[in-house]
Amino acid sequence: MNHDINIGKLQRNCFRQSKVPGEFMLQMRVPGAVIDAKHLSLVQHVAETWGNGKFHIGTRQTFSLPGIKYENIDAVNEYIKSYIEAIEVELCDVEMDDTDKGYPTIGARNTTACIGNQHCIKGNFDTTSLARKLEKLIFPSNYHIKMSVAGCPNDCSKAHFTDFGIIGIAKMEYDYGRCIGCGKCIDACQGHATRVLSKSQGKIIKDTCCCAGCGECATVCPTGAWTRNATKFYRVIIGGRAGKQYPRMGKMFLNWVTEDVIMGIIGNWQDFSAEILEHKPIYLHGGHLIDRAGYDRFKEMILEGVELNPESEVAERIYWAETEYRANIHVKPVNK
Amino acid sequence: MSENISLPKPYKITDIIKETEIEYTFRVEADLEVEHGQFFQISLPKVGEAPISISGIGDNWLEFTIRKVGKVTNEVFELEVGENLFMRGPYGSSFPINEYKDKDLVVIAGGTGVSPVRSTLKYFYENSDSIKSLYLIAGFKDEDSILFEEDLEKFKSEFNTIYTLDKEKIDGFEVGFVTDHIAKVPFDSFENYNVIIVGPPVMMDAAAKEVLKNGVVEEKIWVSFERKMSCAIGKCGHCKIDETYVCLEGPVFNYTKAKDLLD
Amino acid sequence: MSYAVSIEKMDKVLKELKKKYRVYAPIRFEKRGRYSDTDLIRYAEIDSVKDVVYNEKSDFSPKEVIHPITQTLFHFTEYEYRESQIDDKEILIFAHPCDINGIKRLDTIFLENGNNEDVYYKRLRDKVKFVLMECQEDWDTCFCISMGSNQTDDYSLAIKFGEDQLSVEVKDNEFEGFFASEEEIDFTYKFVTANQEEVNLPKIDDKEMLKKVYDLKMWEDYNARCKDCGACTSACVTCSCFTTSDVIYSENGRVGERRRVWASCQHEDFTEMAGGHSFRNTPADRMRFRTLHKVYDYKERFGEEHMCVGCGRCTDRCNQLISFSKTINKLTEEVNRLQKEVN
Ligand SMILES: Cc1cc2nc3c(=O)[nH]c(=O)nc-3n(C[C@H](O)[C@H](O)[C@H](O)COP(=O)(O)OP(=O)(O)OC[C@H]3O[C@@H](n4cnc5c(N)ncnc54)[C@H](O)[C@@H]3O)c2cc1C
Ligand code: FES
Repeated sequence: MNHDINIGKLQRNCFRQSKVPGEFMLQMRVPGAVIDAKHLSLVQHVAETWGNGKFHIGTRQTFSLPGIKYENIDAVNEYIKSYIEAIEVELCDVEMDDTDKGYPTIGARNTTACIGNQHCIKGNFDTTSLARKLEKLIFPSNYHIKMSVAGCPNDCSKAHFTDFGIIGIAKMEYDYGRCIGCGKCIDACQGHATRVLSKSQGKIIKDTCCCAGCGECATVCPTGAWTRNATKFYRVIIGGRAGKQYPRMGKMFLNWVTEDVIMGIIGNWQDFSAEILEHKPIYLHGGHLIDRAGYDRFKEMILEGVELNPESEVAERIYWAETEYRANIHVKPVNK
Repeated sequence: MSENISLPKPYKITDIIKETEIEYTFRVEADLEVEHGQFFQISLPKVGEAPISISGIGDNWLEFTIRKVGKVTNEVFELEVGENLFMRGPYGSSFPINEYKDKDLVVIAGGTGVSPVRSTLKYFYENSDSIKSLYLIAGFKDEDSILFEEDLEKFKSEFNTIYTLDKEKIDGFEVGFVTDHIAKVPFDSFENYNVIIVGPPVMMDAAAKEVLKNGVVEEKIWVSFERKMSCAIGKCGHCKIDETYVCLEGPVFNYTKAKDLLD
Repeated sequence: MSYAVSIEKMDKVLKELKKKYRVYAPIRFEKRGRYSDTDLIRYAEIDSVKDVVYNEKSDFSPKEVIHPITQTLFHFTEYEYRESQIDDKEILIFAHPCDINGIKRLDTIFLENGNNEDVYYKRLRDKVKFVLMECQEDWDTCFCISMGSNQTDDYSLAIKFGEDQLSVEVKDNEFEGFFASEEEIDFTYKFVTANQEEVNLPKIDDKEMLKKVYDLKMWEDYNARCKDCGACTSACVTCSCFTTSDVIYSENGRVGERRRVWASCQHEDFTEMAGGHSFRNTPADRMRFRTLHKVYDYKERFGEEHMCVGCGRCTDRCNQLISFSKTINKLTEEVNRLQKEVN
C-alpha cells in the first residue's frame, strides 16, 4: 500500500503507529482508571467496527484499540466524541474547544491510579477523584507529563516510576485512653511498615520521624485507639522512569502535603516545562526535564506561589540512583 | 460505699529466709484469719501485683515463699526486714484440714509446689496426734533448688518421707521424679485417706494418673492450680476455666472438679 | 406518660439535664473508622440530640462509660497511695435494649461474682439511668431475639427518633417535670419482635459432651481465619476482662498510678504466666473459649441467661469476616450431631 500519512500528527491525536502500515491504535484516556462500566459498550463498538476486534488494557490504563485503519480515523473520532465529553468534560471538568476531532493532545499522558479507598482496605484516599482533578490541570497540553496516583504507601500503582507519583498517606492519631496495649499495631507496623511503634508502660509510643502514613495501625486496632486524621495528606515522588538508557526509581520530593499543594505544583508544571524547553513542547521524560533544570531550580519553580501546609516536608536535595545500561559492569558473557 | 477490697495494706516484714538463690521466704506480721492453701495478692505500689501462696501460718505472722521471676517478685527481693510488704487477701479456697484429720494423708509436691502445702504439713507436724499417718513425697530439680531444708529434715521424725532430685544423687534424696515413688505408698493398708498433689501442671497430671492407677478414688485427691491472675477477686477473667474462676473456687480443688477443668 | 417533643425542646431539656448528668449516646466520629473515609460510631457525651446516631449500630458498646477502657484505680505518690476519684455527676446513657441487658451481665460479673462488689464499677454504675432508644431497624447481624435480650424495663425514658420530632415515654418520675408542657401522645415503645438472623443455642448437658465440644474440628478452622486482634471482645458489651498494672510517670519516677485496662481472651498472652507458660495457645483454643463463655459457661455459672445478648458487634467488627452467630449455629449443629451419636 502506498501511504502518505503524517504519523506525528496522528500520534498527537492519540493514534499510535502500528507495525502494519496504515493501521493505528487509539488510546482512550481513563484518568484515575475508574469509570462507569456502561462506557465499555462504546469501546467494544469501536474495536469491532473499526479496529481488529481486540482491546488492550493499556499500560497507562487507557483503553487501547489496535488495528484501526487510517481511513476510518475520522469516523472513530466522531464516534468517541460522546466518550470524550462524558469523561473529560463532565467528569473532569476539562476545558475543551472542540471534541469532534478526537483527543487534541497526547503530551500529558493518562494519569494512572490504583483503586484507592473506593474499594481497598489499605487505601487512604479516593485516587480516582484526585486524578480527575489533576486531569483539568494537565489536559489538553502538548507538554509531556506522566503521573500515577497511589492510595497508600504500598504503591501498587508504581508512583515511584513516573514523573510525579502521588501517594496517599494518613496522619495517624492515637487515643491514649482507648489503647489497651495489645501491641497489634506494633506487629502490623513491624510487618508492613517502618517499625516506628513500641510499647512502654502498657501503652504505645511512636517514633514520629519515620511513620510511612500507611494506616495499618488503625486497620488492626481493636478499640479504635488509632484513627486517621480526617485531612488527607500526600507524598510526592518525582523523577522516576523506565527506559532503555538509565531507568531509575523516583525520590521523595514532598511529604505530608495537602491536596492544595498537589494542585499547586501540578498547576506549575506546564510553565516549568515551557521555561526549561524554551517553549518547544518536545518529548522529554519528566525526570530528564528536572535533571536539565537542576533540582534546585525545579524546586523553586514548581513551588512558586504554592502555599505549603504547616505539616509539609520538602526534600533539600535529591540523590538519584540510576541503572546505567552503558555501564552494566557486573554483567559478563557466559561464553568467554 | 462498699469497702474497696483491692486496696493493699502494709504488713511489716519480720524475717527473710533465703531458701535458694532465687527463692526467699518472707515472714510478715499479720493477725488475719487465713486457711491453709489460700493466697494473697502481693501488691507493691508503683510496681504491680502478683498472687503468692501462704507458705506458713503462725500466731500473728504469715510466711510467703517467693520465687524471683519478674517485675513484682524482683522488687519484693529488694525489701528488707523492718520494711512493709503491701498485700491484699487472703483469697481463694483452702485445703480442708478438718477432713484430713484422723485419717492417712499423702502429700506429693514438686518444686515450688511445696510452698502452698507447707503450712498444712507444719500443722500436722505440730499436731501429729490429729493425723493417722502422713506420707510426704517431695521432689526438686536439683540440690540448688531444694526448699525448706530445715522443715524437710524435721518432718522426717513425724512423717514417712521420700525426697527426690530429678537427676542428682545426694544424701537423703532419691534420684528421679516424685511419680516414680508413688507406688511405695501403702495405699492398700489405709482405711480412709486423702492425697494432696501440688506442683507444675505436667507433674500434677502425671502424679494424679499414678495415684489413680494405685486405686485411689478421685474424691480423695486434692490439687492446687496456678493460673494467670490479675484481680484475684473474680472480676478480671484471666483465671477463668469454663464456669470456674481459679481465684474464687481455687486454687485448691478436689480432683473430681479439677479433672474437668480443661483450658 | 408519653409526649411529642421537638428536637429544639429536647435540646433544651438536655441542657437542663446536663447540669446534673453526663449524657452519653452513640455519636459519629467522621472519617475515624477502621478504613479510610469510614466513620466510627461510639459513645461520647452529647450536646444535642441531633448528634445521637439512632439509625445505625454503634461500633462500640456503652460499656466503656461504666467500664472505661483505661481506668485509674490508685494514685501513688512517694509516701502514700490514694483511691482515684470521680466527679459527682450522675450518668444518662442512650441505649438499645440489647445493651441495657448487656450491662446487666456486666453487673453480674462486677457486683456479684465472688460475692464481692467491685468499687470502681459500682461507683459509676450506681449513677446510671438509661434512655431507651427504639430500634427502628433489625440490623442483619442482630440476634437479640434468640438471646432473649430484645426487651428491658430498666429505663427512665424511652425515645423514638423522628426527623424533627421525638416520641418520648417518661417512666421515671424524676424526668416528668421536663415534659409537662409538651403535647401528650399515645406512644408505647416497640421492642423488636423478629430478627433476620436466628441463632440456635447448643445444649451441652454434661462434662462428657463438653470434652467432645473441645475436640471439635470446627475450631481448627479459626487457626487460619482468626488473627486474634481482639476487636470482637472490645466491641462486645458483655466482655468484662481487664488487666491491672502499675505505671510510673516518666516526668517524675516517684509518682504513678495503678490502672486497669481492657484485656482480651483472644490475645495470645491472656493466660501467660511468669515463665512464659500459656494455657490456650492457638486462635482455635481462644475462639472456643470465647464462644463457650458467651453461650455456655456463663449460664452454667450464673444460671439464668447466657452472657451473649446478640448485639452482633463482634461480627460487625471482625475484619476477617467471622460471624459469631454463624459460629454458634455451627457449634449447635455439631453438638446435635454428637448428641445423635450418643443416642
Ligand atoms: C494461686 C497462685 C499462687 C502462687 N503462689 C506462688 C508462690 O507461693 N510463690 C511464688 O514464687 N509464686 C507463686 N505464684 C506465681 C507468681 O504469682 C508469679 O510468679 C508472679 O506473678 C510473677 O510476677 P512478677 O511480676 O514477678 O513477674 P512478671 O513480670 O509478671 O512476669 C514475668 C514475665 O517475665 C517472663 N518471665 C518470668 N520469669 C521467667 C522465667 N523464669 N523464664 C522466662 N521468662 C520469664 C514471663 O514472660 C513473664 O510474663 C502463684 C501463682 C498463683 C496463681
Ligand atoms: S484473677 Fe481475676 S478473675 Fe480470677
